[in-house]
Amino acid sequence: MERIAVDPREDWQDTAEAHGFRFHTIDDERYWDESACYRFSLREIEDDIEDPTAEIEQMCFEVVARAVADDAVMARLGIPEAFWDFVADTWSQQHRNLYGRMDFAYDGKGPAKLFEYNADTPTSLYETAVFQWVWLEQAIERGIVPDGSDQFNSLHEALTGSFGQMGLAGKLHVACCKGSEEDEGTVEYIADCARQAGINAKLIYIEDIGIDTEGRFTDLQDEPITDLFKLYPWEWIMTDEFGRNVPNTNTRFIEPGWKSLLSNKGLLPLLWEMFEGHPNLLPAYFDGDPAASALGGDYVRKPRFSREGANVEVFENGECTVKVDGDYGAEGHILQAYHPLPDFGGNYPMIGSWLVASQPAGIGIREDTVLVTGNNARFVPHIISE
Amino acid sequence: MKRSKSVRLVAMGTGLLLVAACDEAKVDTALFESVKQCTSLGFSAQECETNYREAQRNHINVAPKYTAQADCEADFGAAQCEVAPQRTSNGGSVFMPLMAGYLMGSMLSGGRTAGQPLYKSANDRSTFRTGDNKAVANTVGRTQVAQSTTRPASTKTRTISRGGFGAGARSPMRRSFGG
Repeated sequence: MERIAVDPREDWQDTAEAHGFRFHTIDDERYWDESACYRFSLREIEDDIEDPTAEIEQMCFEVVARAVADDAVMARLGIPEAFWDFVADTWSQQHRNLYGRMDFAYDGKGPAKLFEYNADTPTSLYETAVFQWVWLEQAIERGIVPDGSDQFNSLHEALTGSFGQMGLAGKLHVACCKGSEEDEGTVEYIADCARQAGINAKLIYIEDIGIDTEGRFTDLQDEPITDLFKLYPWEWIMTDEFGRNVPNTNTRFIEPGWKSLLSNKGLLPLLWEMFEGHPNLLPAYFDGDPAASALGGDYVRKPRFSREGANVEVFENGECTVKVDGDYGAEGHILQAYHPLPDFGGNYPMIGSWLVASQPAGIGIREDTVLVTGNNARFVPHIISE
Repeated sequence: MKRSKSVRLVAMGTGLLLVAACDEAKVDTALFESVKQCTSLGFSAQECETNYREAQRNHINVAPKYTAQADCEADFGAAQCEVAPQRTSNGGSVFMPLMAGYLMGSMLSGGRTAGQPLYKSANDRSTFRTGDNKAVANTVGRTQVAQSTTRPASTKTRTISRGGFGAGARSPMRRSFGG
């Protein structure tokens, strides 16, 4: 694995706009960055990233199966009690999941280490599935990367294929919050994939969803919402006013309710408890668990629901060396062994390993110039080349 | 090969999914205000009654719904509304317009469509409309109508409250609500 400087395509911004990739630059800060790419060998991809991703997904299923049968585990994961039966039902009824993204630290030398699983509302989907793929095709054509270069990225085909397998009745509402161009881009892409599978996808803002006389969800034309893709986290739904209607409707959600058991960082201490010593896991404990003393003085304290590195604290030798701002923390924390991201010339890459219908489907890499990957991280493409 | 063989976007990049307007095909059908009108035009009693009953059944789902009678009458006219079988979540009444007529579904697509309810709005007492407010015809009896108007209307419900999701997103300066 190495990071190599490459020439950006001169017309990359025009290409981005033409492909509907409007958020390539955010608040004047570069987000999509093709001045470099990561190079992997096929063995590194298949043995060190793809296989562990599939294996950890199966381990996560064991965590879900345990949680739905044990209220104490549901409580430890912080799921509100009013939703325990709902979540368990979505699992026993096998509500299908579409996607998720596991974040790994990997340097090509040792096993990839799982930092967390964005199992409910993973982002960077479009740039991974589409724009990174387009970059490769053009980079090969223009000699920017070696002829015969490949990429671990069948995300687009996996998504368009999966929508046909999800048992959707015909209409799918696709929702995101107001005020985020990035999220709008993501849901437009999701809708596009659904339409390619013959599904009638209708976009709606989450704030515009209504309820009818029977407590069912409706859109702005008063049509019932039977299936809803939501780029909006379960933990917020569960505390929203309309959350209490969720268990009483027949609306199917993507991602399904059982994913809420995996999308909070409480997953990590449970994985460690059930699979202690697994090479791709980092030791992790709930904050307050006396067993956490096994971490010694080097650990990272993360709020259960934080995103983009918000409120993360790094402790070295018992001293807090990094502290990120944010709004999270009231929900409780977990502690994870300190395992810094690898340093590639002052750039710290996080490998986002995607699953579609629980199968590994590709990776997207985000790198930052600081150890806690945050909002300023840039998306950098990759190639497979020996 | 570890990547997608092709990547095709249907609508993204064009910004809008453009749908060309076109001249629609017309189909033969008939509409009536009552079973009696239907039989007097030569249709069998069985066909007339079956379509009427089917339309009445569909009417319950596809008629526009209101939580106040006055709101319903504002759209459909005084004394043109009835109480719907549905109830609000706290037991209140729901209102819907009276069925003004019905479309003979048995004449459409090889007889596989059910009878459809028709309505008339307060400000246009001559046009029969579907539950989705598509104008069908101005006179009873046999007629030719645009094919799209004969598609069964969507199930209607009345939104009584909106905005109950989104509280979690009201934190300032968040670029994305995913992770």
